[in-house]
Amino acid sequence: MLVRAVTGPTARRLCRSRRGAAAACFPLCRALLGVRGADAAVFLQGLLTNDVTPLAEPGAASSALYAHALNAHGRCLYDVMLYRLPGEEPHILLECDSSALDPLQRHLKLYKIRRKVDITPCPDLSLWAVLPGDSSLPKSAGQAVLLAPDPRTELMGCRLITKKGADPSEIIPGSEVGNVQDYHRHRYKQGIPEGVKDLPPGVALPLESNLAFLNGISFTKGCYIGQELTARTHHMGVIRKRLLPVCLSAPLPPQGIPEGAEIQTEAGKPAGKFRAGGGDLGIALLRLAHVNEPLCITLGGDKVKLSASTPEWWPKTAAK
Amino acid sequence: RGSCGPAPPCRGPALPAPSPGPARAVPPLRWQSTFSQSSFSQPGPTESDPGEGQVFLSESCVKRLLEIAEGSEFLRLQVEGGGCSGFQYKFSLDTVINPDDRQGQGGGARVVVDVDSLAFVKGSMVDFSQELIRSSFQVVSNPQAEKGCSCGTSFSVKF
Repeated sequence: MLVRAVTGPTARRLCRSRRGAAAACFPLCRALLGVRGADAAVFLQGLLTNDVTPLAEPGAASSALYAHALNAHGRCLYDVMLYRLPGEEPHILLECDSSALDPLQRHLKLYKIRRKVDITPCPDLSLWAVLPGDSSLPKSAGQAVLLAPDPRTELMGCRLITKKGADPSEIIPGSEVGNVQDYHRHRYKQGIPEGVKDLPPGVALPLESNLAFLNGISFTKGCYIGQELTARTHHMGVIRKRLLPVCLSAPLPPQGIPEGAEIQTEAGKPAGKFRAGGGDLGIALLRLAHVNEPLCITLGGDKVKLSASTPEWWPKTAAK
Repeated sequence: RGSCGPAPPCRGPALPAPSPGPARAVPPLRWQSTFSQSSFSQPGPTESDPGEGQVFLSESCVKRLLEIAEGSEFLRLQVEGGGCSGFQYKFSLDTVINPDDRQGQGGGARVVVDVDSLAFVKGSMVDFSQELIRSSFQVVSNPQAEKGCSCGTSFSVKF
């Protein structure tokens, strides 16, 4: 399934999160775990949804990969971004939600057995998301440890890894450090899930989480944990629900919307469940049949109205 | 677990002829192997810990090994992370024994498992199963394994 490319000017228009033309660097609440050793790529290949072999070659340092680690029942556990550090010996960095660092490390160590890999966190590195302004982003890392386009979609700009304490506005000329809440608003507006709140471990399903649209899964690689259900759903099943961006109407409940809150159509038919969000934006698991209808959530005695939209970056054949 | 189809005919006069139909096959004769630390080229082996476990070989496994192992070759069984359910079995013919290997013998056939993999397969039986879809060495009845994938190569572990 081809994702229609969202090219330069459109991407920049959709990316602009602040007024003004500067690129914005957002400090992310994500941790980095290093997997180093001769067996690094082979080891990860059996544990992640995407094909890791492009990272097995030295010289892959300018590209990143997106993938999920699933459990044996095919449910998402951790969403990760993979980067390869320069060098002959494979040294792959996994980016994950900060709260998932310890569970992910235990998960990898459980399946390591005798493989020649070392798994160690990298607390001396910082991770940034860079959304472009009016000018395009530099192609090479310069002073940074690594700079790579976000593999999920062009709308997410780039990922930047620096030494802890470095100022990204010095590394990316003309950029400014932004407020990470703006980054999250941008994500929710586009309907791009990230982290354990959007993808609760053991609950979220990879294909419903749009993993295929986000270039995070290969259907032609060998076995990995959770592959059976995922491959079977892809080849034989129909995906009736997906994560979609939603916009809540005022007045917003002061305590926010709880995860799992039932969403209904105006006629009271079940339409899905709220996942996570902030302010008036969020992401919800919705039945595709009801995407274009007015929706609501009942909280206590109040009804909160919301509407969903099909993201522009989905392939045009997606709304099935 | 995926079905394996009808079992191969069992050899040996002690067993009844297998009955046709969907019922589970009569288990083949087992050769019990006791595991001991390699005493090959390693001087001064220590006594192996009986808690490390042992693996059993079926008659068809022994027979097949005697057919295919040449010279000092033996069957090595390893457990790796990965595969549909989390862990997968890997069989190979090997000639090198390492200090952390444990080996078992029965009927003239040898199977070697490293101590880390043995933790995952202790109490299992290694069988050579011949079916229409393939003939291969398989680990059957692993007491540590929970659900597995339908081809039998991958398994998850009961915690």
